[in-house]
Amino acid sequence: MTLSSCLVLASALFSIGIYGLLTRRQAIAVLLSVELMANAANLVFASFGHFRGGPTGQTFALFAVALTVAEVAVGLALVILFYRSHGDTQVDLARELRQ
Amino acid sequence: MTPPLTYAAVAVFAPVAAALVLAVLYPLRKKGMPAAVLTIASSSAAFVSAVLLFIDRLQGAPPELATVPWIQSGSKVLADVGLRVDGASASMLVVVTLVALMVQVFSLGYMHDEEPPAFGRYFAYHALFLFSMNVLVIAPNLLQLFAGWELVGVTSYLLIGFYFKKPSAARAAVKAFWVTKFADMGLLFGLLVLYVASGSFGWDAHLEPATATLVTLLFFFAVVGKSAQFPLHVWLPDAMEGPTPVSALLHAATMVAAGVYLVVRANPLFEQSEFTRTVMLYLGAGTALFAALLALVQTDIKKVLAYSTCSQLGYMVSALGAGSMVGGFWHLTTHAFFKALLFLAAGSAIHAVHSNEIGDMGGLLKKMPLTGGAFIIGSLALAGFPGFSGFFSKDMVLEAVEHAGKVPFALLVATAFLTAFYMGRVVFVAFFGAPSARAAHAHEPPWSMRLPLVVLATLSVFGGAFTTPFAALQGEEVHFHLTGGAALASLFGFAGIGLAFFTYGRGPRHEAPGAVAFVERMSNSHAVNRFYEVLFHRVALVVSDALAWTDRYIVDGLINAVGYGALEAGRRARPLQTGLVPDYVLAAVIGVLGLAFWSASS
Repeated sequence: MTLSSCLVLASALFSIGIYGLLTRRQAIAVLLSVELMANAANLVFASFGHFRGGPTGQTFALFAVALTVAEVAVGLALVILFYRSHGDTQVDLARELRQ
Repeated sequence: MTPPLTYAAVAVFAPVAAALVLAVLYPLRKKGMPAAVLTIASSSAAFVSAVLLFIDRLQGAPPELATVPWIQSGSKVLADVGLRVDGASASMLVVVTLVALMVQVFSLGYMHDEEPPAFGRYFAYHALFLFSMNVLVIAPNLLQLFAGWELVGVTSYLLIGFYFKKPSAARAAVKAFWVTKFADMGLLFGLLVLYVASGSFGWDAHLEPATATLVTLLFFFAVVGKSAQFPLHVWLPDAMEGPTPVSALLHAATMVAAGVYLVVRANPLFEQSEFTRTVMLYLGAGTALFAALLALVQTDIKKVLAYSTCSQLGYMVSALGAGSMVGGFWHLTTHAFFKALLFLAAGSAIHAVHSNEIGDMGGLLKKMPLTGGAFIIGSLALAGFPGFSGFFSKDMVLEAVEHAGKVPFALLVATAFLTAFYMGRVVFVAFFGAPSARAAHAHEPPWSMRLPLVVLATLSVFGGAFTTPFAALQGEEVHFHLTGGAALASLFGFAGIGLAFFTYGRGPRHEAPGAVAFVERMSNSHAVNRFYEVLFHRVALVVSDALAWTDRYIVDGLINAVGYGALEAGRRARPLQTGLVPDYVLAAVIGVLGLAFWSASS
């Protein structure tokens, strides 16, 4: 296992996340895609930490995981509120920014 | 401060204190009488201090100055403001405060029937006017003189338009303001040129001959407006719409004399330009004759006096043009007394018969001996009857002009004849002969109107005695001696009175002489006013319209185009904002990819 193979894996994860973010219309799926991108970033932290040595990268990854959990909680709360106000979780319905 | 400067300060600041109090304390103004008392008290204080100053100056002390810097920019001061005490300002201060005080006392009776608030407003304006005039008179440099000049213009506007509910009065006020303002541009530009050329607003600069001519010509343009010389005299007859005491103060004695006073002050500058003085000599003499001709045919007693004022101002300007500063200034002084007297006496007659028309008067001398006597004294002084004050000052004017040129001298002698004739006409028609229906119940006015008449009549008779001390104050030695020219003018004056008597003085009205009828036709054509109308419609309005079009469609058009362009660009760009989150994310991704490629390639 080399650093570059880890980075390629992270890039792939990130790209899948972006693809999902752009194509999915369900709010839950969009949220999942964002999670994928976040995890790609975590992976980059962890792999650099591993190959460089020292605790910094691992610590960052750990913190990021904790923060992501909090973020997901907020995201899900938004989705529930969105569902209550629009009766669906299709992101196309969220056009209020335009007005 | 030395005593003379203290006197000058009192003369300037007492009236403005009264004006400020009346401006702030509305109840005082609303009640009317308190305002009058306050104004008259402040004018009395100004008058007393002016007289003390005058007596002080008679001892021949050098000029004194008290100034504070004004308009400081960096370490440089644009000009000073303050007080300058010398022979000319002390003399003028006495004239102005005396006539103002007399007119205000007269107004107590004359304006008595006004509503109290209007009465109070009238006196507040008077206090403001006296302050403005004194600022002008006491100015240590031409910039402060200009400030006073403009203040006088504003107060004149307020006082002419005092009966502002009357459309003709409001129009007359606007006309006076416009015409004098137009002329004031000359003073403003003259000051600018003077400042650029000499670096100060003082009147003792030495200039290049061409610059001196330019500056003095520009100044003289302002004088033509303010002192109602041809062709800018048109506002003065209309200004008679104001209350009669106002006409006596502003449009006979003080404000219109400001133009002459400017030349007296700026005399060192005017002495440097032969050309300007020649222009003044001829224009003054021409105006004197022209205005006297128009005075012949007026039926409104105030209009006769108004044209007569134009005519006498022409005398003064012509004397100044002939290089006799003292002559012009002395005629200004005596004229201030007897013309104020004539206006006040006319006001008293108007007050009695409730009409300005001399045809509505008649036989008033019997009903109102004091008023009639005062008017006759004023007329004799104006006609230059030997022994009266006007005789001495006219003599000085004529002597100076005789040496300067034969043509202006002839014009002035002819004017002397006409002056005697038209004043004789008014006296014989209004004060002798059979009383008209309106004049039947005329009676003398209250004491407040009689007292100023007595004071001014005394000065008009005996004022000539002050000729020598007055000239000494201006730094010149003059002893009265009868010159051939002045004697000739006096003879013509007698002839004028005699002709008036034969034409108008013998019982029932006679037909006007043919020459007078001709002038009447000329006067009725209102050629000068017509000329301005054409100038206004054909030139000023056309130019203004063109400028307005440029402003509306080119200047504003550019601004509007910029605004419209921004709006339209926004409208075009609006579809980009879909409101869909994925679209925004896509844009962000494209942006990041672009940045990545850009940073990789460079």
